[in-house]
Amino acid sequence: MYYLGLISFALAFVTALAGLVVAALSLARREKQLPGLAVRLTQVSFGLHTLSIVAMLILQALEDFTVSYVNSVINPAMSPILRITALWGGQAGSLFFWSWIIALCFFLAVSGRRGLMDAWAYVVAAVNLLFFIGLPLFLENPFARVWELVDGTLAEGVFAPAVGAVIYRGLTGVGLNPLLRHPGMIIHPPILYMGFGLFLIPFAVGVSQLIRRQNDDDLLDKTHAWLIAAWVLLSAGIVLGSWWSYDVLGWGGYWAWDPVETASLLPWLTSTGLLHSLLLQRKRGIFRRFNLVLVLASYLLVIFSIFITRAGVLSSVHAFSESLISRPLIVFTILMVVFSIALLVRSWKSLGSGWELNSLISREALFLYTNVLLLGLTVVCLWGLVYPLTSGTLGGQQITLDRGFYDRSTLPLFILLVVLMGICPLIGWSTASLKRLKKTWWIPVAIALAGVGAFYLAGIRAWSALVMFFIVFLGLAVQLFLTARDANAVGPAKFFKFWWKQRGRYGAFLVHAGILLIALGIAGTEVMGSAIEGTLIPGDRMPLGRYEIELNAASANYDNPEYMNVVIETTLYRDGEKIADLKPGQHIYMDRNQSITIPAVHSTLRGDVYALVLGFNMDMPYATIKLIDNPLVNWMWIGGFCLVLGGILAGTARRPDRETDEDETAADSKVISYAQATGRRENGD
Amino acid sequence: MKKPNLKLIIGIAVIVIALGYLVISSTLSGSQYFMTVEELQAQKAELVGKNVRMSGAVLGETIQYDPQTLQLSFQVAQIPGDHREIEAMGGMQKVLADAVANPNAAKMTIYYKGARPDLLKDEAQAIITGSLDANGDFQATELLLKCPSKYEAALPKQ
Repeated sequence: MYYLGLISFALAFVTALAGLVVAALSLARREKQLPGLAVRLTQVSFGLHTLSIVAMLILQALEDFTVSYVNSVINPAMSPILRITALWGGQAGSLFFWSWIIALCFFLAVSGRRGLMDAWAYVVAAVNLLFFIGLPLFLENPFARVWELVDGTLAEGVFAPAVGAVIYRGLTGVGLNPLLRHPGMIIHPPILYMGFGLFLIPFAVGVSQLIRRQNDDDLLDKTHAWLIAAWVLLSAGIVLGSWWSYDVLGWGGYWAWDPVETASLLPWLTSTGLLHSLLLQRKRGIFRRFNLVLVLASYLLVIFSIFITRAGVLSSVHAFSESLISRPLIVFTILMVVFSIALLVRSWKSLGSGWELNSLISREALFLYTNVLLLGLTVVCLWGLVYPLTSGTLGGQQITLDRGFYDRSTLPLFILLVVLMGICPLIGWSTASLKRLKKTWWIPVAIALAGVGAFYLAGIRAWSALVMFFIVFLGLAVQLFLTARDANAVGPAKFFKFWWKQRGRYGAFLVHAGILLIALGIAGTEVMGSAIEGTLIPGDRMPLGRYEIELNAASANYDNPEYMNVVIETTLYRDGEKIADLKPGQHIYMDRNQSITIPAVHSTLRGDVYALVLGFNMDMPYATIKLIDNPLVNWMWIGGFCLVLGGILAGTARRPDRETDEDETAADSKVISYAQATGRRENGD
Repeated sequence: MKKPNLKLIIGIAVIVIALGYLVISSTLSGSQYFMTVEELQAQKAELVGKNVRMSGAVLGETIQYDPQTLQLSFQVAQIPGDHREIEAMGGMQKVLADAVANPNAAKMTIYYKGARPDLLKDEAQAIITGSLDANGDFQATELLLKCPSKYEAALPKQ
């Protein structure tokens, strides 16, 4: 099994290299078509790669601790599902897994619709694949074994590191880091990686077009589905990651502007902008050049993000320590960026871009503002990551940027973005739709004011929160209002069918509603949140706003052989009435010298009350408890769910193009014609 | 060539200036110097009150903690800030052990209000955010502790 895995992994590299050579030769001969042999070689390479992944999973299941990676992530007490996730739980394994994801995307691209990948696109994708297979194969091989040298010391290597070394069989397995043993962590990395990997294909097709000095709507038609899929998975990955952070890391937060988090946000920002301006290219034929730049930038930021995560240059909860792979990674990242910029400069003029805006408040203009804000955010985040890197080498004194940097610089941009999102659906592609709204504009505004009023009556006085709530409610009310208007025009009976036909539009509504709900959650926790910490003995109470927590007892057990389970029993009161028993605790892994905090949460739609054990003494007994009030936080997860669901919905919709407009104007006119056909009249028209 | 659109140019200029202002002002207020104990002591005068991040080796015997008031204090000893230098000296674990054992190492007292972190123990690496006070002590707002063993390869050394 071991040799099967190692050899098929090595052969996957060899066949991928052969595919690259075949494609390059065909380019040299100026053939028009990508040779079928290259396609088949990619398929074989992917098959071998998959075989090696399966072999690694079997090694993990069988506890082959002579393999160093298996020893580090598996121990006999781990459940089968955790043994699978262990594949991406450590440095070597996760690189191996990432190379397989890239191979999977490449495989899908060459095996799917004919003509997606021409020879140049194939070459670009193959070079990336080879690089990412090469890293684990040559520098961090997951199949490396543990050897005992003649003098009794241990060493790692695929082959015997010295004469007389024998495979060491005395290891019993360390196991996955306890922090990674969480459902969020089981699916977060594969989904995020898949989202990352899918950007490779549009990148390869875009580069190919640049090389061939061609820039038409071809790129869009071919890669639209890839971009939407990548965006949906990336969004899901980021939301899952912050859920994991909230649930496991035990600090009551969900986003810390940690370098790795920030890096994963970068391609999300550019691809979100891309999805907007692609719509403009399709409708008006503008933004062509801009879109090409965004396609390239999204994948380059993916590589940059991999570099930030893997190279260990910035301290982070996720970062692996600095290793052999950091230098090749940075060189590769820089090469790809320089290569892309050079290509863009070479054919900049010939790319052509119609640039005209009818009016400053048309839909096009709002899309443009949205993209400016998204790119502004990208620039700020990129600066936040790059500045500390460069300051160390240039100025001598290393400087880091704290969380405050991001909070201050991104907040105005995010607020403007949310405002735009709220009013955008009201403004159609033409000024005509704005006129039609005249008589009814007050309805969403009234709903939003009523919502804010409810919060005011509930005792919220912070004006910044109230303004934010108004913006969010206005945006949500506008969407509900427009949907209700459609339903009224079409007739309730036929509305579902209409809704499904127009799912591109309603999917987009859902995505925006998701973002607004996330904004609601963030505003709630940031502006209205509060926390307190203190040391309590049994019987003590600690107040936090309307809540109070009482310590009852402390106990410890060894029900799980891996750790000591410390449980602190507390009661949570609200306005003096008992509402929940909370049992926060800690798992203490003695052998690892590590403890993880197990939060206890009283969770409702109103928000979470989140209790953490920061310290304890079993003999006294006392415990230091942190109690955090996170109002509205759960709307964030609901919003994240809407975001992903809306993305999927819009992704399955038939792609609108210039001939068969299925956009807002068309939808509006369809609503009208539908209404006229069924003898109804559109409300307010 | 089309005639450049004046409105567009003004628009872009406004955006660039606004963004530039946002980034620069946030960078100035959000910057933290990453320093060692020796560097901090050498530049004490100009650094008082400034937001700084520092790193040092925890001296286990100096840790004092009052769970009632959550007052925590301890001393850290000088370790180099550059990881290449640390590798050259035999790795983080060795650097930390040497720093703690060396009676002549530069030391600094850290004050913090909050729960005592579990990983705060002898020879741990502390990464501390805060500022110097007038006495030359460090008032921490954030503690991050790393135990080298946790991050090392899982192979048992013989």
